[in-house]
Amino acid sequence: MSASHASTPARHGHAAHSHVARYLRVWLALMVLTALTWGLSRLHIPGGAGVAVALAIASVKGGLVALFFMHLYDQRGANRLVFLTSLVFVALLIGLTLLDNATRFPLANPPDAGTSPRQVRDAILGSQPPATPHPASH
Amino acid sequence: MSPLPASEAPVYAERNYLNTPATGLRSWLTTLDHKRIGVMFLIATTIAFATGGFFALLIRLELLTPGPTIVDAMTYNRLFTLHGVVMIFLFMIPAIPSGFGNFLLPIMVGAKDVAFPRLNLLSFYLYLLGAVIALWGMIHGGADTGWTFYTPYSTTTPTKVVPILLGAFVLGFSSILTGLNFIVTTHTLRAPGITWNKLPLFVWSIYATSIIQILATPVLGMTLLLVAVEHAFGWGIFDPARGGDPVLFQHFFWFYSHPAVYIMILPAMAVISEVVCAFSRKNIFGYKAVAYSSLGIAFVGFFTWGHHLFTSGQSAYNAGVFGVLTMFVGIFTAIKIFNWVATLYKGSISFKTPFIYFVGFLFFLFFGGMTGVALATVSLDIHWQDTYFVVAHFHFIMVGSTMMGFLAALHYWWPKITGRMYNERWGLVAAVFVILGFIFTFLPQFLLGNEGMPRRYFNYPERYWALNVASTAGASVLAIGFTIVLVYILVALRHGEVAGPNPWGSRGYEWLTASPPPLENFEEVPEFRRGPHEYHDLPGEAAAPAAGAAPGASHV
Amino acid sequence: MSSGAANPALAHHFESLEKQAHAQRLGMWLFLATEILLFTALFAAYGVYRFLYADAFSEASRGLATWMGGVNTFVLVTSSLTVALGLDAAARGDGRRSGGLFFLSIGMGLVFMALKAVEYRHHFASGELPGQYYTAGAIAGSGGALFFTLYFLITGLHAFHVLIGMTVLGVIGVKSWRGAYSPEYHVPVELAGLYWHLVDLIWIFVFPLIYLI
Repeated sequence: MSASHASTPARHGHAAHSHVARYLRVWLALMVLTALTWGLSRLHIPGGAGVAVALAIASVKGGLVALFFMHLYDQRGANRLVFLTSLVFVALLIGLTLLDNATRFPLANPPDAGTSPRQVRDAILGSQPPATPHPASH
Repeated sequence: MSPLPASEAPVYAERNYLNTPATGLRSWLTTLDHKRIGVMFLIATTIAFATGGFFALLIRLELLTPGPTIVDAMTYNRLFTLHGVVMIFLFMIPAIPSGFGNFLLPIMVGAKDVAFPRLNLLSFYLYLLGAVIALWGMIHGGADTGWTFYTPYSTTTPTKVVPILLGAFVLGFSSILTGLNFIVTTHTLRAPGITWNKLPLFVWSIYATSIIQILATPVLGMTLLLVAVEHAFGWGIFDPARGGDPVLFQHFFWFYSHPAVYIMILPAMAVISEVVCAFSRKNIFGYKAVAYSSLGIAFVGFFTWGHHLFTSGQSAYNAGVFGVLTMFVGIFTAIKIFNWVATLYKGSISFKTPFIYFVGFLFFLFFGGMTGVALATVSLDIHWQDTYFVVAHFHFIMVGSTMMGFLAALHYWWPKITGRMYNERWGLVAAVFVILGFIFTFLPQFLLGNEGMPRRYFNYPERYWALNVASTAGASVLAIGFTIVLVYILVALRHGEVAGPNPWGSRGYEWLTASPPPLENFEEVPEFRRGPHEYHDLPGEAAAPAAGAAPGASHV
Repeated sequence: MSSGAANPALAHHFESLEKQAHAQRLGMWLFLATEILLFTALFAAYGVYRFLYADAFSEASRGLATWMGGVNTFVLVTSSLTVALGLDAAARGDGRRSGGLFFLSIGMGLVFMALKAVEYRHHFASGELPGQYYTAGAIAGSGGALFFTLYFLITGLHAFHVLIGMTVLGVIGVKSWRGAYSPEYHVPVELAGLYWHLVDLIWIFVFPLIYLI
């Protein structure tokens, strides 16, 4: 084992200087974004848009944690590739499974689920469901 | 390195991993040497294979007559469940990667060990723990749900499904740790000169397998846990009576289990890529195509799970999507088959036992794969789903391809692992039994399935009798073949001819070191200048090996 | 540091401490990927059932103490900050500070667990329990029971990971305090931090999905 390897100060893919300021800024951003998502939830944005907004803010927060607290910002490609690839498969499992229930003949879904085509439309667009639900048309 | 001159007798390496740093059970059970761990996995998975095979023989015996033959219906349900669970989780998933992969991968990248040797040992103990938990469940009656554990039956059956689920959960961790180790080893421990484009094709396929293990297994873990929780506590995630969707279980289960079949076939393909080059003494045709198609299978394999749900109540839209995506994954296997066959062209074929298994592998992968594409056609699957057609399809791949790959690996690398050659004539005899036995076991099952015989059925109408008898007869021949292999391979441990570092004259990197290898794999790590499957001589190298060329030459 | 002898942390099969550190980090990221996929199955179940029982899930979610979820988010995010600062201290060789910051993070983890315990107590008391044990009855149909089944599964699994994370931080924190690490070698501190940040990252998604929408 060559001694010269041991004498090199270990470099961890980021510079040796302190990152404290960066961490504090990220923490502040996370706090603000948390307050933001909580505030927006009070507006009760209807249907799919509300979910989308919440997930978008969560993604930004998650991205900040991954990039800066977990140092993906200053590390090698392999780690980033692993993280991003896992996200692709998260989307795949959730997406295609949801697509099944969303595109089924409504009676093939659990009986008291709200999945007639009209109900699905209402859920996504956020309009009020009618007092007497219409029979499922297919 | 050039093959040895005929005059030089092969040498058995006296100080090797089998006796360094110590001998005795304790040194093996606490080893951190990837080669010993690989050997222990091979032994354990072989015992598992024998167990699963025993269940298979009981199944085939029961199906010898249309009515009850040797067991009752409830027992029969447990038999096919345990056959599936043992074969898949205790043999097919771990055998080639954790057995041969562990032994060979570090050597093939010029490393001294895997990246995390202690995690490697842990993965072995997790395998044993999972096996013991599942075994406990089996002894206490086992499960009768099929290895697929479909809800709502699996959440309500009175049989011992929970220990089997937990055993499989623990086995999943073993699988994850192996995959993790291999990926990190491939990224960080390659010797100088072994670039990504000079990686042996075995490593590429094992690497792809490892990606699947990392990404898919956790989903299975969660799914099995959910079933266990629902079975134990009745929380109702998959229970229609509580508003749950039983098909949701199938989505989660097959999200793992379809990529799992690629965990089972990719390592066999890894072996075949090595064997085809060594036994045609020719560089692989289309290295990049073969290498990248492994990654293709690994990724695209994740997009296809819904083809298991064609008749389960999935939306027609989803069925269409999955049907098309499933067609795509066949392309990569086709690429491989084309390239392997093209490698044979103008090669110098050596018709030894590993090559015979390659031939079997080729035909059965081709045929089995084609029936897979046929099954991916939704309209055809309506007729074939849950019949013996499906059973035959996956056994063609799992036994006809993966098992043949395992046997090819066993014979190809036996001299490297043990330092001794097996008896080639017995190898041929056993291969004939295995291949013929295989054909007679599973080809009739395609016909049975197409005629409408359902799978997992304890009884059948008389018109299926003849083909079932044929299938059982084939299974007996297959069992005899495997037994013959076991006998002569064990005999070879004591009485086999000394193999020397490279009895096959192969250009693979693992043949650059002694047989059996020393503790740290290479006495001196070679300079890797040529590719791992290069059989032409570099300029300046003599066509005939120089007299007195020593084994373990320091450069290739 | 040039003592001429290899750092005792260097394993025999790695050629340098740097390569080994890279390998350890990559190994950790692969393990984190498995944790992400583990939770994904639960998130997928949540997604499906939220889609199927949208109204019931919204109503059930409104019944939760959102302020507790919010406070827990603040606590966890801040504990991520202290862990990051702990790694920074370790990189500068200040083992005491690093260990201390990790202990602070553990403390915040305890606050998180305490708030969750309070929440769980409330749910037990009001019959908001999984599956067949759901007796709250305020929501028609199966949606309420399913919401709480998923609520307990997701937050329960997450809390389990918080406990593991706290244990890991504890072990590494003690070793840091005792001077086991140096600017040349403090990879275990980094790896422990990565695990804790993942626990935080998962909560960042759990909070809006369970409490806010």
